[in-house]
Amino acid sequence: MALWPFGVHDRENPSLGVVLVVDDEESIRKISRLTLTKAGYEVVEAENGEKAIEVLNTGENPLTVDVILCDIRMPKINGVEAIHYFRTQYPSVQVIVQTGFPDLNLATSLLKQGIVDYLVKPVEKEKLLAAVAKAVEQRTICNT
Amino acid sequence: MKPTASDQSLNIVILGAGKGGSALIELLTRCKGIRILGVADNSPDAPGLQLARYHYIPTTTDAAWLVSRDDTNLIIDVTGDPAIPELITRHKSPKTEVLGGTAARLIWSLIQAEHEMYEHLAHAEKLSTLGIFTAGIAHEFNNPLHGIMGFAQHLQGETDPAIINEFSREIITLTKRLSEMTKGLNLYARTGQMPEMTDVQIPQLLDEAIKMAAFSTMLDEVTVVRNYAPVPGMQANPSELHQVFVNLVINAVQAMNARGRLTLSTGVEGGYLTVTIQDTGPGIAPQDLARVFAPFFTTKERGAGTGLGLYIVQTIIKKYGGLIEPISQPGNGTTFRIQFPLANAA
Repeated sequence: MALWPFGVHDRENPSLGVVLVVDDEESIRKISRLTLTKAGYEVVEAENGEKAIEVLNTGENPLTVDVILCDIRMPKINGVEAIHYFRTQYPSVQVIVQTGFPDLNLATSLLKQGIVDYLVKPVEKEKLLAAVAKAVEQRTICNT
Repeated sequence: MKPTASDQSLNIVILGAGKGGSALIELLTRCKGIRILGVADNSPDAPGLQLARYHYIPTTTDAAWLVSRDDTNLIIDVTGDPAIPELITRHKSPKTEVLGGTAARLIWSLIQAEHEMYEHLAHAEKLSTLGIFTAGIAHEFNNPLHGIMGFAQHLQGETDPAIINEFSREIITLTKRLSEMTKGLNLYARTGQMPEMTDVQIPQLLDEAIKMAAFSTMLDEVTVVRNYAPVPGMQANPSELHQVFVNLVINAVQAMNARGRLTLSTGVEGGYLTVTIQDTGPGIAPQDLARVFAPFFTTKERGAGTGLGLYIVQTIIKKYGGLIEPISQPGNGTTFRIQFPLANAA
């Protein structure tokens, strides 16, 4: 299975958290994976909303995923539908949107649903890392 | 073939197939009750002669022969050639009337004004449609831009030649993708001011239209089926036919609420090049079916459509001697079927 997290972590080198990257474009997933693994996160990937839900539901422990980095425009189940599912089924898992759509109404509506950030591509790696760090922090607060 | 004219129809002969003659043919072929018996011009390559052939109108370089037909009601002389009035007088039948000189120039001016107005209308319709593309265009551009920036950021400080090679290749691929999109947009936004008649491949234009339509909606949830039987190239202005197909594809996708199956077919049937665009949407109500091509007719919400899209689609198709008909039953989707005479084949 390609679900095994990328990035090698052990007791001496603990992971900063597990990020599920959902995007239909392989090159975009690759960039996010590079940025996040280099920074110390573990990454799992899914190419659409349906696969992302599958990853969450079939993992040994779905709650090992800390943050979902999610695109909006995808085939099968799109981002809006997938995020609604994530927020209702796994409210403690933090969601960051990373999309090409600079849509203020959509951003407002998703922020109201409790996403951590709405990032409009192109996203600089520093910005992505800041958003993920914030999301992991919120996830920790949720769990304590 | 063109419908045969009734006895009451006005039989017209056009002398001169330059700009004036072409505009005249374009306008008169749209009018009911007018039959153009023939078009003459000294130059066999005159643009109006090509246009006439699309409509199966006989063409000749022998003005005297055409003028001598005795079933002509009216000869319109837009040659501007001082020798022509005398030639007409010598050869025409006594009951044939002549529109020439200043009167023909006046008609030419009126037609030119009408033509310019139509060009502006067609362009304005394009620009208004462009509005629905903006969010999609931003999305389609931002994705490769994200990739380019991401790979470039990871290249900074990278020393492994294999990785440098790999990331550079990714950047090149993404840049090419952006450049392809710009080309597609250019084809759409170009004005009709440039009457470039070239050999166009219909399946290729349909594919371009799908790419363009992807900007307008989440096309990912539409299954596109291409049934392209081999068709000959066609002499046409690619920008105009692109506008036709973009309009029809977007209408189809919008009708399906961006979820369903879009089937595009091409083929040759009985002397016609046929193109069909079929959706699995709710279909068109029978009372609306006859009105879809009327200017300003729209079933879209206020502000969502100009009501000019299908009117312009039909006008362009007619210009090439073609026909378009909607076939629809509520609940069973809609098919737009287009036929172009094979005389247009390049």
